[in-house]
Amino acid sequence: MPRLCALCSAQRPILKRPKTGQQICKTCFFHVFETEVHNTITEAKLFQPGDRVAIGASGGKDSTVLAHVMKMLNDRYNYGLELFLLSIDEGITGYRDDSLETVKQNQKEYDLPLKILSYNELYGWTMDSIVEAVGRKNNCTFCGVFRRQALDRGAAMLGVDHIVTGHNADDVAETVLMNIMRGDIARLGRCTAICTQGEDTIKRSKPFKYTYEKEIVMYAYFKRLTYFSTECIYSPDAYRGHARSFLKLLEAARPSAIIDIIHSGEACEVGEEATKELKERKICKRCGYIASNDLCKACTLLEGLERGMANAGITDRGRKQLEASGPTPDGLRTIPFFQMNTDTPLDSASSTPIPGQTVDARIPAVVHVTAG
Amino acid sequence: MSTNCGNPITETDAMMPRRCKFDRSKMCIKCKENRGNIVVRHAVYCKVCFVLMLNQKFKRSLEPTINPVPDGPRKKSLSPLGNLVIAFSGGLGSTVLLDLVHRGYISSRKPRQDGDISTSRKDPKNEMVWKEVRVCYVEVCGAFPGMRDRTDDVRRVVESYDGFEFVPMRVEDAFDERWWESVGGRPVEGQLGVDVMNEDLILSPSSNPTSPLSTLHIYLSSLPAPTAIPSTLQTLTRLLLLHTSRSTNSSHLVLGTCLTSLSISLISLVAQGGGFNIKEEVQEEWCLGKVVVKEDKGKEGRTVRIVRPLKDIGMKECEMYAWWSDLEVVGQETWPGAPQGIGGITKDFIIGLEKDYPSTVSTIARTCGKLAPKDVPAGICILCNRPSQGQVKAWKDRISIRSLSSSPLPSTSPAQPSLAPYLCYMCHTTLTSKSSKKPNSAVSTEKGDGVESKVEVPVPQWVGARITAMGREVMKDELKEFLLVDEDD
Repeated sequence: MPRLCALCSAQRPILKRPKTGQQICKTCFFHVFETEVHNTITEAKLFQPGDRVAIGASGGKDSTVLAHVMKMLNDRYNYGLELFLLSIDEGITGYRDDSLETVKQNQKEYDLPLKILSYNELYGWTMDSIVEAVGRKNNCTFCGVFRRQALDRGAAMLGVDHIVTGHNADDVAETVLMNIMRGDIARLGRCTAICTQGEDTIKRSKPFKYTYEKEIVMYAYFKRLTYFSTECIYSPDAYRGHARSFLKLLEAARPSAIIDIIHSGEACEVGEEATKELKERKICKRCGYIASNDLCKACTLLEGLERGMANAGITDRGRKQLEASGPTPDGLRTIPFFQMNTDTPLDSASSTPIPGQTVDARIPAVVHVTAG
Repeated sequence: MSTNCGNPITETDAMMPRRCKFDRSKMCIKCKENRGNIVVRHAVYCKVCFVLMLNQKFKRSLEPTINPVPDGPRKKSLSPLGNLVIAFSGGLGSTVLLDLVHRGYISSRKPRQDGDISTSRKDPKNEMVWKEVRVCYVEVCGAFPGMRDRTDDVRRVVESYDGFEFVPMRVEDAFDERWWESVGGRPVEGQLGVDVMNEDLILSPSSNPTSPLSTLHIYLSSLPAPTAIPSTLQTLTRLLLLHTSRSTNSSHLVLGTCLTSLSISLISLVAQGGGFNIKEEVQEEWCLGKVVVKEDKGKEGRTVRIVRPLKDIGMKECEMYAWWSDLEVVGQETWPGAPQGIGGITKDFIIGLEKDYPSTVSTIARTCGKLAPKDVPAGICILCNRPSQGQVKAWKDRISIRSLSSSPLPSTSPAQPSLAPYLCYMCHTTLTSKSSKKPNSAVSTEKGDGVESKVEVPVPQWVGARITAMGREVMKDELKEFLLVDEDD
């Protein structure tokens, strides 16, 4: 007798779910995949009707599937959300320019407004020019810090309440391991939270927190979704790469390892004593974004780039060198001042893709300071 | 490790600059007289100062845990509430531990005169701290046919020291009612079995009584993934040691886990879903069948404190100590299947990572030391006896749909007792998480239609005893208005 789907017991199974080990048919796979994401959203009470939600879209598999599923669930379950696509153009020739074409194609398919914000507009630097200045070592630090701010700033320009990102279960598990291995207590405490929101940041959440990367790929494959699948041309973050290869080995030995690590991360927290050691959150004196010191990480990195001391935001020695070299000179490029809730968000229509689109005129892309 | 294919001749940043192994000079940083023999994290030590330093680290880690109220001042009198058990595997860590305990607390001291150890105020430098010291060894060769029994080798090493009592055990003792009764366990009426094909882990009376060794084979071969075997053996070994410690009135059980092994076991624990027990992996208070609360600490005979006195000493330091002290390391047999285990994968990864990132091992231990469980324990896991968060099945059902029924009926009825509610996440996952590869022959019980049939697996003695006791507790609860005297107390 032929084997039958473990869920419906009617059709032939075509895949084995890594998360449960069950062999299921395509129809049941679509059902469980979408319903699990819906359950994650509703149990965590991520949205309120009328929320304006930006989907962080890179053109990769995770964000493509997220855009598809968010649009579908919003229609199916009447979430009442106003959805946007928000893309960040890091300025990586041969990588991001191609992936943004995929995002633009998705924008047409899902009929969602799209906002693209580039590093060049916001910081006056592209990743190509940063790599030219700093080399390939540590360039992921610049990209990661700049992207986080860029997403918040893009969201503020769109006037959205919430950003959803395509971080999946593999990403969360990898981050838990990485934070333990490099002793990043502050990040370890918050990396398993499905939703993060500080007083001065836009709410961010991960509806794919419990969704395996393999299942996202399977979903995109069976639904024939268009996504861009090339890795970044600049070397991936070496440390994350170690954590990722370790996780893959664990997953191969025991597929539940990914979800087991997330469970571990959820089950523990930073102890009372260690909490006291954590730095208080401040506001960057220069750009108004959240910071741990007087200047936020992005402003420090940008100043280092501008002054030809790229290590200023990376190592303690670099920071000391920057401080020793005197006050910030006049005329240095800085990041525009950050305002979380803009009173007059961009009109949806005006944020649709326009060739050669520029940043909203209300927030100048690059401003010049006259004092240090 | 670089991901680039940089040419070091043309690209100056393609190679990391080679760092000097020591910071200033080749002279010992302690005595400043002798030429150094070893570099420990950029500090140079001569042989004499290294041994002294290692002893200090060992004592600094162990002594604050000896008195009933832990972390008290070290210089005060050391008065443990009971005896000491040293867990000895024959590996490097436990060999070094055995030697350090013998040098520090036995060979240099007189036997304890005072019978009442709890009220003793004798000078700890002259008298033995623990009245009796036992060395326990658990032989696991029974688990793998063809594996060599090393009990005699271990006995020879232990008996080369005076003042230790050797207690050999076998891992199959976990299923042996004679062993269970010898450690003071209440006899279990009939063997219980659990159905590992059902995630609720339904319990039923086990039909075929077999020898402890056969029962162990059935248990291991029924596990759903090869990765579960090393974890299971570790749990069984830990519980055999704990029950032996309790039955010998021991207040302390010391393990030879060094800093490197501790970091590996912490990451391995996290990878298996045991994040709730991170604290216990570093130091643990164990009491039979209950969560240890503050009030239990310091009460004689109630708790066993598990201590890892080598937790600040790296594997390289242990190796050097063993070499310079001319210690015989029996070594551990490689467990067939161990490389596929989560612990084996983690070990390979951490050892490899340490080459590029030398501070990894200490960072992991330090980071995990700052973590605490998020919730108050809901109880004790019936299998591993560690605090459990509870609601394991509910969490798993919440994050993954395993049935198309919108309101799934509970798969167990009152007539079908289930083990799942009494297990921690890690033990439940060990018993239910399937391998991505084809199941092994013992678990391959699928009928032609793909439906899996029941596989009945016997449970360890302490699990059976606890379930029997819980049954009595339920009955007692119903009869409590009529009972005048509690026979169980």
